[in-house]
Amino acid sequence: MSERRTEDQASGGVEEILRARSAEGPVERKAPGPTAWFDIRRRGTGHFAFSLNRITGLGLVFYLYLHLAVLSQLLGGEASWNGFLETATTPLFLGLDVLLVFGLLAHGLNGLRVALIGSGFVPNRQKALFYTLMTFGAILLIYSAIHVFTAEG
Amino acid sequence: MQAPAQDPRVTTGEPTRSRTWRWTAVTGVALLLLVTIHMVAHHFVVEAVGGLRTYQHVLDYIANPVIFVLESIFLVVVTIHAMLGLRSVLFDFGLSDRHKQLVSKGLVALGVVTVAYGFVLIGVLASRA
Repeated sequence: MSERRTEDQASGGVEEILRARSAEGPVERKAPGPTAWFDIRRRGTGHFAFSLNRITGLGLVFYLYLHLAVLSQLLGGEASWNGFLETATTPLFLGLDVLLVFGLLAHGLNGLRVALIGSGFVPNRQKALFYTLMTFGAILLIYSAIHVFTAEG
Repeated sequence: MQAPAQDPRVTTGEPTRSRTWRWTAVTGVALLLLVTIHMVAHHFVVEAVGGLRTYQHVLDYIANPVIFVLESIFLVVVTIHAMLGLRSVLFDFGLSDRHKQLVSKGLVALGVVTVAYGFVLIGVLASRA
């Protein structure tokens, strides 16, 4: 094992990446490691989808704790919450809301693709399913952005 | 002929890849439904900029028994999914078995604290309605 690692390191980890990319199932594809998420050279749709899922996933975990922190303002009573609402309805924050919706749609729909293919419910049509779901997500994102910026109080 | 090596995860109690993957997928699919309910109920039926509720609206909303149960389930499921996802990302760094165990235990603890804090938050707000 250690010999193999040394060999891989010597060849810049290319062997390891190629082995992981040809492995069965979605989990095995993680093997290249975080540095490979941003390496888009000569990579296919599968790699892009995997990296997108990782990056949006980390963003959503960060948001989970940010959301809990923000909701803690409610414990401070009405004045505390209303003060937050004034900030939260500025164009910058509404833009961040749209970014959140993008993260949710990209991660959720891409995750659905992984779950459907990985569980064998649908045939392995990764690329077609990815583009179909992302197109659906883009439509929902546009609708959400319009709603966020135009709903009236 | 040499006997096949036993998977170390069997003895360490670390979930196997397939079990982790299954839980991630199941909670992920459940989240698709729960996030949709959460987002629509919170932000898309509220006619205000950004779909944000006033203080009293939030209290009334969370005090509804159906919403209270749904939000509680959402909290638990999203935390499990987030911790499993974090675990996968951290394991990508090529950790040793000992460090993997530490990461797993740390994430279980973080998950428990997160869910506990979330329940306190929901409970306090519902009691104020």
